[in-house]
Amino acid sequence: MSDKIGVYVCECGPNIGEAIDIDKVIEAISPIEDVAVVRRHKLLCSGDGQNFLVDEIKNEGLTHVVLGACSPKDHEITFMNVATRAGINPYLIQVVNIREQCAWIFKDKDIATKKAIKYIRAGIERIKYHKPLQKKELDANPDVLVLGGGLAGIEAALALTQTDRKVYLVEKSADLGGSVMKFEKLLSHQGFNLGLIKEKVDKINSNENIEVLTSTNVESVIGFFGNFEVTTKPAGEEAGGKSFIVGAVVVASGYNWFDLESTPRYGYKKIEDVFTINDFGRMIEESEKLKLSTGKEPKSIALVHCGGRKELGYCSRVCCMQMMNIGNYIKDKYPGIEVHELHSDLCVSSKNDQKYYEKSKEKGINFIRMKGVEVGGKAGAISIEYTTLAGDKGKLAVDMAVVAPGMIPEAGTPQVADMLNVPLHPTGFFKEGHEKLNPVGTTMDGIYVVGCAQGPKSFMETLIQAQAATGKIFSHLIPGKKIEPEVKVSEIIEAFCTGCQTCLDVCFYGAITYDEDKGVSVVNEAICRGCGNCAGSCPSDAIRPKHFTTTQLYQEVVEALRE
Amino acid sequence: MDENTNNNVLVIGAGMGGIQASLLLAEAGKQVYLVEKEPLFGGNVIKYEEVFPNMECSTCMIAPKQQEVLQNPNIELMTHSIVEDVQGSVGNFSVKIKKKARYVSLVNCIGCGACYDPCPVSLDNEFEQNLSQKKAIYIPCPGALPNVPVIDPEYCTRLKGVDECSACKDSCMFEAIEYDQKDEILDVKVTAVIVATGFGLFDITAAPKYGYGKVKNVYSAFEFERLFAKNGPTEGNTVLKGGENPNSIAIIHCVGRKELGYCSGVCCMYSYKFSQYLKHSFPDAKVFQLYSDMCVPGKSYQKFYKQTMDKGVDFIYHEDVEVKGNGSKIKLNVKNGKDKDQELEVDMVILAQSLKSTESNSELAKILGIEQDDKGFFVSMTESFEPASTAKPGIYVVGCSEAPKDVPQSIAQAEAAVGKVLALT
Repeated sequence: MSDKIGVYVCECGPNIGEAIDIDKVIEAISPIEDVAVVRRHKLLCSGDGQNFLVDEIKNEGLTHVVLGACSPKDHEITFMNVATRAGINPYLIQVVNIREQCAWIFKDKDIATKKAIKYIRAGIERIKYHKPLQKKELDANPDVLVLGGGLAGIEAALALTQTDRKVYLVEKSADLGGSVMKFEKLLSHQGFNLGLIKEKVDKINSNENIEVLTSTNVESVIGFFGNFEVTTKPAGEEAGGKSFIVGAVVVASGYNWFDLESTPRYGYKKIEDVFTINDFGRMIEESEKLKLSTGKEPKSIALVHCGGRKELGYCSRVCCMQMMNIGNYIKDKYPGIEVHELHSDLCVSSKNDQKYYEKSKEKGINFIRMKGVEVGGKAGAISIEYTTLAGDKGKLAVDMAVVAPGMIPEAGTPQVADMLNVPLHPTGFFKEGHEKLNPVGTTMDGIYVVGCAQGPKSFMETLIQAQAATGKIFSHLIPGKKIEPEVKVSEIIEAFCTGCQTCLDVCFYGAITYDEDKGVSVVNEAICRGCGNCAGSCPSDAIRPKHFTTTQLYQEVVEALRE
Repeated sequence: MDENTNNNVLVIGAGMGGIQASLLLAEAGKQVYLVEKEPLFGGNVIKYEEVFPNMECSTCMIAPKQQEVLQNPNIELMTHSIVEDVQGSVGNFSVKIKKKARYVSLVNCIGCGACYDPCPVSLDNEFEQNLSQKKAIYIPCPGALPNVPVIDPEYCTRLKGVDECSACKDSCMFEAIEYDQKDEILDVKVTAVIVATGFGLFDITAAPKYGYGKVKNVYSAFEFERLFAKNGPTEGNTVLKGGENPNSIAIIHCVGRKELGYCSGVCCMYSYKFSQYLKHSFPDAKVFQLYSDMCVPGKSYQKFYKQTMDKGVDFIYHEDVEVKGNGSKIKLNVKNGKDKDQELEVDMVILAQSLKSTESNSELAKILGIEQDDKGFFVSMTESFEPASTAKPGIYVVGCSEAPKDVPQSIAQAEAAVGKVLALT
């Protein structure tokens, strides 16, 4: 059956009706091959207009419809629904924007009319190559893999639990709890009730919908949103791994600490009684006593902020508050000890932080604003030399120093990113889907990254992110509900593909794999979003994004430019 | 359906947080009532030309989300509307929503704008920080959504009963003007409520040392945003009061921090953004940042600060500052811990205002029966590790209504609240 294209020009009241000579448009368009009818209407998006279109499509036996109207952003969906109602495939509709792109931008009616004719011609030439597309539905597994059993992972795993959803919580170490449980005394002093975390761990362990796999590594995750095949292996063993399917993955693999030893100016591991926050936390966890290497109690302590900030190139967000907390801890338990906080910029951006800072000052903690610091001297006579913002030099003698190391990505992050096919940020942390709009998603549908795995985060921010991933999963991956992948995806013509694999590198979404046997690239339609990067990069013109083929674009451009 | 159960959720405030919450809830099959007090939606983000740290076009970022809201059959967006009453408890709240008369049909109007010019009444445009005028029938700025104007009944001479003017109705080809529209009260039942009412701004006139309102060419941050915005009153041409472009600009950080008692967490970043705007438009202009603490938390913000420095922006540490007029110039006395004040002369000052809670929060707190902190922000259950939940089951608080936040933090909290709502059923 040959094509019967209907072209309809919307007057949009006076908006198009008065700015464009529609009679001239009809005259110019009517002779074009395959165009069966060209008609005008007062307002196609109105109820009347939509019914008119349905009748036209049925009565004229149209196969394709081109609409000269407003922006497709306004009414493409309206007109796709009209097509469905009229019994033709909704993808055989092309909206040509002659309002915003013609009528509204030219004062001269002739110019606007001429441009509208070209654009509609272009629309007609492109729609001839449109193919009917069908929405697909895929079964989706509602289960979730949570990678990492720290604060974020515990929160996500428990929050995700629903009667018809199973959660696999995989932790590489032997226990759940992560870094927070190592600093119970310090965090309690900061006001965090870690008993709640223990309760959560108990709930996880007794919840039959959560399978906890500690001392376990995830070996591979293959697949796409709704259908990831996961294999795990017990840490340090060859056998005993598991395989299971999940629909989504929450990465909560945490962080590590900047190695202060790599930066000699902190004197760490060279001078006794110079500690990291970690060491300090461990010391008070063990005995709650502050002890120097001599066994004596210190008389003066310097707390040095921003350890490694210069080297890392970012602010680790939590150290200011952690250091002030340490200062407060010391002052509360040992009021006689002198405490100096050597800080650069104070990062006190949560709503109660500044108050805490003011109170810390009142307690007698000595805050010194510096732009450079060096820890020298020797045990018993540690010397802190610093430079003020004004450039003046200052010196402090203390008998203990605690340095706050910055947060860095957990070891193994690149391997996890590679396994999951998600990108990393230049700092080495995981990269979020969009820095503003998609803070816990990634470029891969169904893979979420939460907490410090994606960069330094406070305790509350981490909890919020874990709950956010839960919200997204509850919204996108509902037990029993199928998922609808993108329809306008890329197709690879195997006969043309030379197997150069250029397309694999440019695909943001990891939708393309290489078939070794056939020697060609293969698009996974469940992952592809139809961005067209692959088609643009293909040297053999083997990749055709549906409805955006080279032929279509070429014909469209030729008609738009032809006088 | 059982009379006491429903599938509905109320979202109050249609900024970034409210929009994201609504879209996720709708996708999960919930029927969402998204109530926004302004006649347009999108929140504060639609006022920005670009957003940090990637200097992305703000409108291009949020417009697709707004379109999704407008086209989603599960979301009933009610602009120009307020929540008047909420009774009941989780799973079964009865909500009274007042839909204020817009006097323009949301169905018939196509947003062509033919009605503005004929209107004889002009008044200050608050959306543009009063830097331009609007008519009594208006949309706040080009590109505002829904693209349907509203008539201000306090200024429209016909609605005030002064005369029988029908200039807008006469100019409308779509029978969209409806002078007889009345406020409507809508009663709905919802299972849960998400509060996303956003932030207000520190009132700079309360701190006279900044010279705001007295010294010429001292602007608030939002005034400057609009002076730079392509869809703003000067179409993006940043001009001083005399019409000339600025040659030297000082951006003062932490305006209101001392008074409010907290750091807002976003002003440093938006101040750097302003420098980048200025250096883009006026590469030879001198730009000074008067900062106190660089608040650049996380993996990518410090880089933005470095980029700003590399563009030739001067950073000056300050503990206090006094702004005074000096002929056509502005004189700044900068105190930074040294014996002698540093003096600066510039021809434009931008004040980086702190974020504060919105005034409407106290009314809403009463209606919802939720708590505010001493600063007016809603209180969430951080102590029990439920940072998006309030003490009242079924009511959640997100974004800057709970505390100052940047966009991704607000969105994450909105998503967290959605997780809590969807776990209810």
